[in-house]
Amino acid sequence: MPEAPLLEIDNLRTVFRTGHGELPAVDGVSLVIDTGRTLCIVGESGCGKSVLALSILRLVPRPGRIAGGAIRLAGRDLTALSEAEMRGVRGAEIAMIFQEPMTSLNPVHTVGFQIEEAVLAHRAVSRREAREIAIESLARVRIPDPKRRAEEYPHRLSGGMRQRVMIAMALACRPKLLIADEPTTALDVTIQAQILDLLRELQAETGMAILLITHDLGVVAEMADEVAVMYAGRVVERGPAEAIFSDAQHPYTLGLFGSLPRLDAEAERLLAIEGTVPPPFALPSGCRFHPRCAFADGRCANDTPALRRFGERHEAACFRAPLEAMAA
Amino acid sequence: MLGHILRRLATAVPVMVGVLLIGFVLLQVVPTDPATVRAGPMASAETIAAIRADLGLDRPLWEQFLRYLWRLAQGDLGVSIINNVPVAQELAATIPPTLELMVASLVWAIPLGLLLGTVAAYWRGSLFDRAVMAFAVAGVSVPVFFLGLLLIWFVGFKWQLLPFTGRAGPLWTLEGLRAIALPALTLGGVFVGPVARMTRTAVLDVLSADHVRTARAKGLAERLVVLRHALRNALIPVVTLIGLQIGFLLGGAVVTETIFSWPGVGRLAVGAILSSDFPMAQGTIIVLSLGFIVINLVVDVLYAVLDPRVRAA
Repeated sequence: MPEAPLLEIDNLRTVFRTGHGELPAVDGVSLVIDTGRTLCIVGESGCGKSVLALSILRLVPRPGRIAGGAIRLAGRDLTALSEAEMRGVRGAEIAMIFQEPMTSLNPVHTVGFQIEEAVLAHRAVSRREAREIAIESLARVRIPDPKRRAEEYPHRLSGGMRQRVMIAMALACRPKLLIADEPTTALDVTIQAQILDLLRELQAETGMAILLITHDLGVVAEMADEVAVMYAGRVVERGPAEAIFSDAQHPYTLGLFGSLPRLDAEAERLLAIEGTVPPPFALPSGCRFHPRCAFADGRCANDTPALRRFGERHEAACFRAPLEAMAA
Repeated sequence: MLGHILRRLATAVPVMVGVLLIGFVLLQVVPTDPATVRAGPMASAETIAAIRADLGLDRPLWEQFLRYLWRLAQGDLGVSIINNVPVAQELAATIPPTLELMVASLVWAIPLGLLLGTVAAYWRGSLFDRAVMAFAVAGVSVPVFFLGLLLIWFVGFKWQLLPFTGRAGPLWTLEGLRAIALPALTLGGVFVGPVARMTRTAVLDVLSADHVRTARAKGLAERLVVLRHALRNALIPVVTLIGLQIGFLLGGAVVTETIFSWPGVGRLAVGAILSSDFPMAQGTIIVLSLGFIVINLVVDVLYAVLDPRVRAA
């Protein structure tokens, strides 16, 4: 029997109870992440990528809930765990960092204390040992003078420093998987690059897997081993990063990546996607992208396309793909 | 931190001068003439004039005020017009019972309010939440005197469980505790609701903050998430609001002391005003205002203790 992948998301459905009934934010998503790899989830705002991330940790805020599917961490289904068991997973096996380092740290506790807390939650160590581990973690994320920095309150640190603290906190218990939800979006461009470099270095050191959520294709190009493109709660295309960049099949992926200006192809017009992601209470029938799709035909409005194979581990959910055939 | 406290102290000085001025003017506007009161109903016009001159009441107002300030600076608060007892001496005797009553009221009301508010916020929308909020609204709406009278009628009079007049000794004696129970329940009782409501709002606000999500994401137990990351942060606004409310509580203390014959500053104030005891009323006003200023100072210091961002500024 082949070894189970580190994380396997199987047909996950996360819904929000609203005045319009139960609306799916994540609708039948399946993904796999292996140890030491980086999976980037790409999509516009509102496509369900953050809800997917929170679902993995079972931290979807009310009135949201996981309505179906499985999330298996090394073969163990997280959706079946008790709340207490789940707490043992959070921070210890799967850790998460967020988009806003300015607000993600508690302003009234020192950063050292906040890391310490994560350590004490999962390891049977004394407060002093926890403090030492916290200082080590700060050193690992290249924070200078970590001993002194541990005594600082978050408001004394810059955005980049705070995100480093968040990473130190996330990695203090050496998790196998780090979920990073838009970790660089709120940061200056130069700091972004530093944080991404840091994540890559730490991944090389620890062998952890990274689930990176972003809408920044530059970040994807920099970081991804695998890419999953989400649209309106569904994965519309997934595959190895090279395949997605060089041979995208889904019109939405093409639109996304086509809207990335390229220096080597100046003559090409930028492909922009008209319109916006439909809200969960007004999802179109059939392929959810069809109202914005230049290639849609009658079938796209009626039937929902399933993921089809286009190469090794490369799949897209589109009836019309490959589009080259049509161009001919 | 020390600079913060000193700055706050400095701003308290003009407030105090203002209070003295208003207190002074207020008693001037009252239509009763203290000299007449002191002289008694049978006194002749000459006697009254003599007393007026003796008390300095025939001088211009501004001079009376300046003399008053000057004596005050020397610690001389004057002598009661009614019974010739030095005001300072009366105040010294009544301040401790008032402090005692305030502490005995707050010591249970604040923790209970914090607890109810936090639990209500955590289980927002639940039956418990709605019960607490209904209780809080009732608490805000019921006047102190009414709650006090209810307690006196039922607990004190009908069921004869607890005494309801006066102070019976220090708090470390059973008799002392029994005597303070009803006044403290009354004064604290009207305070639980507002504290619970403010706490609930503040905790609800913090519970949706990003850092609470972070705390959960690192696997902290819910108890720690709520205490360390929600309530701890919520205390910053709550302490400010509690500080403001304690000011009103001083007003409540005046009423409570009066209905329970508690020998405190509040009752002294009411008695002095009713009997036109000019210096005594001024003395009590000064003490109650000072209390208000001290409470605000304590709140400011607490604020800095609770919020590292204020500490640094």
